[in-house]
Amino acid sequence: MRDLFRKRRMWRRPTELKSSYDVVVIGGGSHGLATAHYLREHGITNVAVLEKSYIGSGAAGRNTTILRSNYKTPEGARFYDASVKLYEGLSRELDFNLLFSQCGHLTLAHSDRAMFVMANRAEVNRLQGIDSRLIGPDEVKQLAPAMYVGPDTSYPITGALHHPPGGIIRHDAVVWGLARSADAGGAEIHPYTEVLGLDRSGDRITGVRTSRGDVRAGVVLNCTAGWSTLLCDMAGVQLPITTHILQACVTEPVKPFLDVVVVSSQMHIYISQSDRGEFVMGSEIEPWTTYRTQGTLNFLQDLTRHTLELFPQLEHARILRAWAGLCDLSPDYSPILGRTEVENFHVSAGWGTYGFKAAPIVGKTLAELVATDRTPELIAPFALERFYRDDLVSELAAAAVSH
Amino acid sequence: MDGAAERGAVAVARDGGGVVTRLPPQPGERIDRDRPISFSFDGTAVPAYRGDTIASALYANGRRIFSRSFKYHRPRGELCGCGRCGNSLVQVDGAPGIRACGEPVRPGMRVEHQNAWPSLERDVMSAVDRFAGPFTPPGFYYKTFIRPRSLWPLYEKLLRRAAGLGRLAPEQDERSWRTEYRRRHCDVLVVGGGIAGLAAALRAAELGADVVLCEEDVEPGGALLAEGGHERARELARRAAAAGVELLARAPALGFFDGLVPVWQGDTLHQIRAARHIAATGTIEQPLVFADNDLPGVMLSSGAVRLATLYGVKPGERAVVATTGDRGLHAALALKRLGVDVAVVADLRADAGGGELAAQVQAAGIGLRRGTTVVSAHGRAGVEAATLARVDADGRAVEGTAERVACDLLVVSGGAAPATSLLLQSGARARYDTASGRFFADRLPADVHVAGAVDGHEDADAAELSGLAAGAEAADALGRISSQDRRLLTEQRRELAARPEATAVATPPAVARGHGRGGKAFVDLDEDVTAKDIAYAVAEGYDSIELSKRYTTVTMGPTQGRFSQLASIRMLARETRTPLGDVGLTTARPPWSTVPMAALAGRPFEAAKRSAVHGRHRELRATVRWAGDWRRAYDYGDPEGEALAVQRDAGVIDVSTLGKLVVRGPDAGELLDRLYTNRMSTLAPGRIRYGVMTSEAGRITDDGTVGRIDDETFYVTTTSSGVGAVEQQFSWWLATWALDADVTDVTQGVAAINLAGPRAREILSRLTDADCSNEAIGYMDASEATVAGVRCLVMRIGFVGEVGYELHCAAPHGRSLWDAIAAQGARPFGLEPQRILRLQKLHILVGQDTDSESTPYGAAMPWAVRLDKEQDFIGRWALEHAAEHPAEAALVGFTCLGGEVPTEGAVVLVDGMPAGQVTSARRAPLLSTSIGMAWVPAALARDDARIVISDAGRRIAATVTTRPFYDPEGKVLRS
Repeated sequence: MRDLFRKRRMWRRPTELKSSYDVVVIGGGSHGLATAHYLREHGITNVAVLEKSYIGSGAAGRNTTILRSNYKTPEGARFYDASVKLYEGLSRELDFNLLFSQCGHLTLAHSDRAMFVMANRAEVNRLQGIDSRLIGPDEVKQLAPAMYVGPDTSYPITGALHHPPGGIIRHDAVVWGLARSADAGGAEIHPYTEVLGLDRSGDRITGVRTSRGDVRAGVVLNCTAGWSTLLCDMAGVQLPITTHILQACVTEPVKPFLDVVVVSSQMHIYISQSDRGEFVMGSEIEPWTTYRTQGTLNFLQDLTRHTLELFPQLEHARILRAWAGLCDLSPDYSPILGRTEVENFHVSAGWGTYGFKAAPIVGKTLAELVATDRTPELIAPFALERFYRDDLVSELAAAAVSH
Repeated sequence: MDGAAERGAVAVARDGGGVVTRLPPQPGERIDRDRPISFSFDGTAVPAYRGDTIASALYANGRRIFSRSFKYHRPRGELCGCGRCGNSLVQVDGAPGIRACGEPVRPGMRVEHQNAWPSLERDVMSAVDRFAGPFTPPGFYYKTFIRPRSLWPLYEKLLRRAAGLGRLAPEQDERSWRTEYRRRHCDVLVVGGGIAGLAAALRAAELGADVVLCEEDVEPGGALLAEGGHERARELARRAAAAGVELLARAPALGFFDGLVPVWQGDTLHQIRAARHIAATGTIEQPLVFADNDLPGVMLSSGAVRLATLYGVKPGERAVVATTGDRGLHAALALKRLGVDVAVVADLRADAGGGELAAQVQAAGIGLRRGTTVVSAHGRAGVEAATLARVDADGRAVEGTAERVACDLLVVSGGAAPATSLLLQSGARARYDTASGRFFADRLPADVHVAGAVDGHEDADAAELSGLAAGAEAADALGRISSQDRRLLTEQRRELAARPEATAVATPPAVARGHGRGGKAFVDLDEDVTAKDIAYAVAEGYDSIELSKRYTTVTMGPTQGRFSQLASIRMLARETRTPLGDVGLTTARPPWSTVPMAALAGRPFEAAKRSAVHGRHRELRATVRWAGDWRRAYDYGDPEGEALAVQRDAGVIDVSTLGKLVVRGPDAGELLDRLYTNRMSTLAPGRIRYGVMTSEAGRITDDGTVGRIDDETFYVTTTSSGVGAVEQQFSWWLATWALDADVTDVTQGVAAINLAGPRAREILSRLTDADCSNEAIGYMDASEATVAGVRCLVMRIGFVGEVGYELHCAAPHGRSLWDAIAAQGARPFGLEPQRILRLQKLHILVGQDTDSESTPYGAAMPWAVRLDKEQDFIGRWALEHAAEHPAEAALVGFTCLGGEVPTEGAVVLVDGMPAGQVTSARRAPLLSTSIGMAWVPAALARDDARIVISDAGRRIAATVTTRPFYDPEGKVLRS
């Protein structure tokens, strides 16, 4: 509250780059800034976060702000659960209200097959202590009275996976709160600083070449999501990742009547109503690969048609803005997190549509990896190496269109 | 009714007690004074004329407050007069967010205000404006209610209660608004129907092009319609229509999607693909930023003039005009002619343009203040006075120059911003032009032309000329122009370049302020963002255009920054001491004009596939449900009885949903060998083999049968939902490997009916002359035969575990074949009994029993992989790896000791933690027990191993089986 009456810079004005940093984080999004934030806890403060545009300009500022932990695999559920728990305490930790609304998360089922996947997720979640259960259409109606759950629709609702701790958060606030904390801890945030190359000598990265000069680095972290394969190429590291666009849109604000996040994998939509009253909606990843964030008309058409199946009263709600962001998709829909074959070059990649949900736990575990030089147990299943061992962590059923 | 009274002055009591009149008929006005109509506003009848907008009719009837603002609930009045601003959002017949100043009235329409309670005049929430100001700087919510955490949900509930503008029905069962798509291909699409757009369309059409022109307003003509050029504009529109141009009115172009332009017009979404695009999108007049610049009565000059000339409504009695260029001077003269007492014009230019226009203003008896602007408006519910002053570079009033002028109308003109959104979406770059203080679109894509004011050609003659040239250029690009026409074009371009520069426009200060506290100076009216808010954001470090936008939400409201982007850039430039051009624009995003979801959604249906026999299933009262894209018969009321009938007698099932591909050519066998994990090229004609396809990673992607018809022809079946992906996969690799074969998807053209059970052979032999003995057509044989008069491919396949014949025939014959079989006493069975039967045989369903991580080895089908094949095949390297490294999990059968049927998806436990999952489970009627399939840790994949299943907390004990429950040796199948 006291900050209301004080105008203070959130972060320092960028200065010239120093010649050397202990840690260079590439990517000023939620992962990069979270890592810088948690590095403070380990006393590592000679850190630079390099961002080619403004902070939060990539996936961190383009996602649909949904948090949840009801994943399918035990490894995934455990990991995202830790993330949601960190998010729950993050507003206080950062002294910045991230507007985290744990309004609950409904994944709708429209078929036996979907019910089967939901039942499995509910059971896996329950066994891990995650609040998540299978509910019938009546209970769905209670949680989302505005939704049409009757039979006269192309996709009648057979049930849903209800995940009460899930919800929405203000994505930009996450970026700004983390940036302020990282900056206060001594880390330098350098927006409009593009990485042009990495100098590798043997098994180590020795230098980072940027549009604003070259720096030496003890450890380099690649937190660039959609661009992670390009950055890894500079380090001579290959990732089994393809980059696609994911689109979203928002309506003009109307008086709130939907207090829960609704997802339908079968219809490829997810929808929530923000505290401003806007409906925020998104769809599935587009199948083609691209680095160009050009949206499509098809997206708007399919999304609106499907959304109106569930919420016919939105027919007059007006689409205000649509946008696209890049997603780095891994073969098993789980992230690639931690070490690479280059000793001091670690990655946070393969995030598909679920990276923002993981930001704090990625920051915490990557910071721990940097500080201790040991891979935290929580992220061991997500090592790049798993693709060489053929030991995959399949989240396809829970992550493909399940925001 | 007395005609004179009706046409003359309809006097109505004004809300505030005053009286306004309609002006006498105006040349070119849009209203039809002979056709009075009536609609309601907040329950009260409002008289209007056909041709009025909601706002013009309300204004004529004295209404000055049209909405309450988003955050502070401040009263807002008419601003733009053209349907672009967010000041007049109302609810019409239940639809929120309608722009009252652009929406024509219809008799009986029900109009209601938004975001105010109990009324627009007395809004309880406006207390926020008076008392909460200091507590609500931008992002105030980020800084409050952090501790204790438990209070945040409560606070959030209050925030949500205050949020939103319009109101939607809390519940609704179906869409009430039917909308359509229309696809239109043309040579040239012109966006914008002002004089430039019309000229461009006309010229291109004259030169033989097929031209579509779309215009936001109810008629083409643009700015000229209200500015004394209505005859010229309408004549040009007539000529364009006569030349064959398709004119779409009230039809905004929503975006530019790689050449595809959606245009929304009422119930129709036109999807227009043109070879060339001409953007004649004009400019958007900008407001000025000063204290209380949002008071009702502060109006853009174009809005005030439109209101008067198009709708015959007097915008005010006594006006003050503040301008940065000639526009304001023109407006002052026009309003004066219409009988408005224009007291003063404040022109920010030191010389007021220095020309004839300024002299005319003075000659008309209007006070002209040079180098002066408005620093404050005064009034409570509307403008009562304005303070004018000279300002310094920082926008602060120079001591001793302030002058307070009483007025009820404050006309502002802060220059014109080119409407470049569509151009930027098409890939053009924004360029700041220091001389004119505007952002233009530069580096246009090759298929995009530009004409008129958006390109800087503002006066009517220049705009028309540039339109003619753009139209000719587009036609030229299409190869439709003669050398003579090309010479003319060159001439026009030269003439255009030689025209004198438009008169100078002054760049207004980011914010103009008087002395003392002053009221809020809004940069963005939609979002209630003030100049102070932006300064605050910059001071906090949100010092780029994108960050300050996200923090203050400036430009993020319903008008998408049309009236606030330039002002926010000026504020940012000022606060960061950066040149305007370096601040840059935010990304231009679609849609250009907000659009109702129904208009984008088109018709509300999902395409469904139905088999040729579907009608029969309906008649038999089948339970019909979705299965992928198909509507399928799940059962006919008694799934267990149907399953028993198949096992004891005979059953018939419609399996037309199976994917069916014909692969033909000398290399057909080679292609299949490379795509399936086993060998298909060695298959003898007339034989069938089961096959599995995997991804590069060796994961099962689909399965099915492959039958060889002759040396070069294979008939392939796939899973029902997988055929699209399989066909894609086949075609992709066929092209990649350049094999001599072709693939045809015949799924929809072929019906397939499976006759199975102990009596199946008998029934088949009654319907055909062909030899049906086991010797003639044994298990996994295929042959052609005529069955019940229908030519069929008969395939002896046993998915359900009994002797079975899959009969594939041309879809139109499917129903008669089905009828003939059913008439022989085979009982129809649906998908559900089939699932029970196949489960007894442990036949997998891809996608049910396998997931994206299942290999053939894990799925207990090592026999389906032939690593001894000489060919490389998709997934080979991964399967070689898998063959050497035993899978950690395996797919097995199980029976539940207590007869329970666990939920599919239940978890297999080891040490209390998830270690596997149940993929299928059913009661098996013939076996009188419950059976299922599950993924279990490899160590438990042996007969009689005990497993524990956790199902919604319930623990179920089960025993593992690795062999089929029914006919494990396959004797029945082969009999």
